[in-house]
Amino acid sequence: MIQINKLTKSFTSKTGKGFKKETVTVNAVNEVSFECKPGRIFSLLGPNGAGKTTTLRMIAGIINPTSGSAIVDGVDISQGNNEVKKRIGFLTGSTGLYERLNPDETLDFFGKLFKLPERELKERKEYLFEKLGINEFRKKRMGQMSTGMKQKVSIARTLIHNPEVLIFDEPTSGLDVITADSIIDLIRESKADNKTVIFSSHIMSEVDLLCDDLAIINKGSIIYNDTFDNFKRDMKADNLTQEFINRVKEA
Amino acid sequence: MNELFVIIKKELTELLRDKKTIINSIVLPTLLIPVLMFGGLKVSQMIQKSNQEKKVQIGLVNAPDDFKSLVVSDTLNQVTNYDESIDFKTLIDDGTIQSALVFSSDWRVRMDSLESSEVYIYQNGTKDNVNSRVSAMLEEYSARLKETRITQLKIPVEKMTPFVKNVVEVGEQKELIGKRVGGFIPYIFILTMWGGCLLAAIDLVTGEKERKTIETTLSLPISKFKVLMGKAIVASFLGFIPALLNLIGLILGLQFIDGIPEVITSALGEMLNFQSITMILLLLIPFSLFLAGLIIALVAGATSFKEAQSKASPIIILIIIPLVMALMPGIEFTWATVFIPVLNIGLGVKEIMAGTINMGMYSAMLLSLIAFAITAIYFSYKKFSDENAILK
Repeated sequence: MIQINKLTKSFTSKTGKGFKKETVTVNAVNEVSFECKPGRIFSLLGPNGAGKTTTLRMIAGIINPTSGSAIVDGVDISQGNNEVKKRIGFLTGSTGLYERLNPDETLDFFGKLFKLPERELKERKEYLFEKLGINEFRKKRMGQMSTGMKQKVSIARTLIHNPEVLIFDEPTSGLDVITADSIIDLIRESKADNKTVIFSSHIMSEVDLLCDDLAIINKGSIIYNDTFDNFKRDMKADNLTQEFINRVKEA
Repeated sequence: MNELFVIIKKELTELLRDKKTIINSIVLPTLLIPVLMFGGLKVSQMIQKSNQEKKVQIGLVNAPDDFKSLVVSDTLNQVTNYDESIDFKTLIDDGTIQSALVFSSDWRVRMDSLESSEVYIYQNGTKDNVNSRVSAMLEEYSARLKETRITQLKIPVEKMTPFVKNVVEVGEQKELIGKRVGGFIPYIFILTMWGGCLLAAIDLVTGEKERKTIETTLSLPISKFKVLMGKAIVASFLGFIPALLNLIGLILGLQFIDGIPEVITSALGEMLNFQSITMILLLLIPFSLFLAGLIIALVAGATSFKEAQSKASPIIILIIIPLVMALMPGIEFTWATVFIPVLNIGLGVKEIMAGTINMGMYSAMLLSLIAFAITAIYFSYKKFSDENAILK
């Protein structure tokens, strides 16, 4: 379960030339609230720069919110984000893999830092390698792998600690359809395992395939938050993409 | 502690699998000093041999017979006699001769009457080998003439020698060579240390951004401080190792390279004992951590290797200037210089090598380096925690 309440993130930057500097503060995310339930897939939609990644990074404990609260699997992120991180599997287009390590070493590294007991780590690693077909290249360095192979290892490292909450930020961005399909399968399986899943995407066909609950974010604020069934029922446009565009423009 | 060890192991594994790091941090530093010593020795021997074998063309005007016989006794001298002074500048410029000696026309008369005369030497000041050989010939000729005159005048030799200089060297050979050579040693290992730290720190911070793994690392359930410490320790290690390999290379070079003067080999061998090496390495540990912290603080906001290099590279000036100052005469290891980073190492290593280090000052220097290392780590942590900089 993820409960987000009035979550805000401000970024401060200095502009100007020479000695005349001005400090500008921008709210990248402004009092965002929503809830993601276990066994359901929550989609966070929004155009580029809307605040999706910032919101997901705050939930994952990678950046600290300016104000508001986020409770992830019963733990408030303000109480120390390491406890939250232990409960989360975070997979995004920008969570790359260490190119000079092989899959075995990568999963050992993550497993140890997630403090998995040695035996459990070994069993979990073997299970994931078998399930995702990594065994044949488990000793190959990441830098020598194809995108598809890397994606499989990314999935394995996201799931190594069997997290209760999974966060995917545009996980299929830039991937071919076969590799993207493995991510779609992973999201579906996570739902079947009663995990809490939140994902952001631009691809409306993926949203249609997976989504149970939906929030649209624009310019840092939530402009729609309801079930996907209600969203489809209230649609005025002919298709999901057009409906999404219309709602962003109207906001 | 275990988490920090896991981070260090991973960072070190990654770096040591990079060919660039292996070459810059291990291969080059190990070979640098032996190659420099061997190459320098061979080159200077070759130059010396070629200078000794080089024929010198000398133009002579009014030269007395005894001088001519002195000049031709060295088979490498080739003499051309001129009747009068001509444009020797042109002859020297076009290489017809390398030097010309013009004796006064009344040379024999003046010599016979025990008077003083003049010799004009035409030379190109840049031709050291020619000039020193010609000067040596003139010195020898002058000594012979003096001796002849003393004999003619029947003056006892002791009357012409008011005193004899007897130098009693009270400084130890080790101290003398230590203070002269000791200044150059930090030069080599501080610069290789800087190179090692720079490459490692950029790879570990900016490289992670370029390879899009920084967000992966930050999603781990460990504090940013531990991540930063892991990176700083590995960067400092990759700076410390080249410095250590430099010292090992120096010791190996002294052992196995022939032709180094015995006095230098034995003095350096005595200087590089367990105690002095330990003292030098102890200084380098906090100093490498200081460099690693400083570089990480500088490159934390950079998004590419090139940008990181341009941000960190100017610091090299702040390292070279104190090192050059440490070589200058008059700048000593005192309570005033003991707290200035780099300069203190440059001066301190000289004292350690010479065996004259004051232990109180050494301890103060070590403590000051530890304080600088802690400060640098603090600033690098501040920069590394800056979300705007690290996730840029």
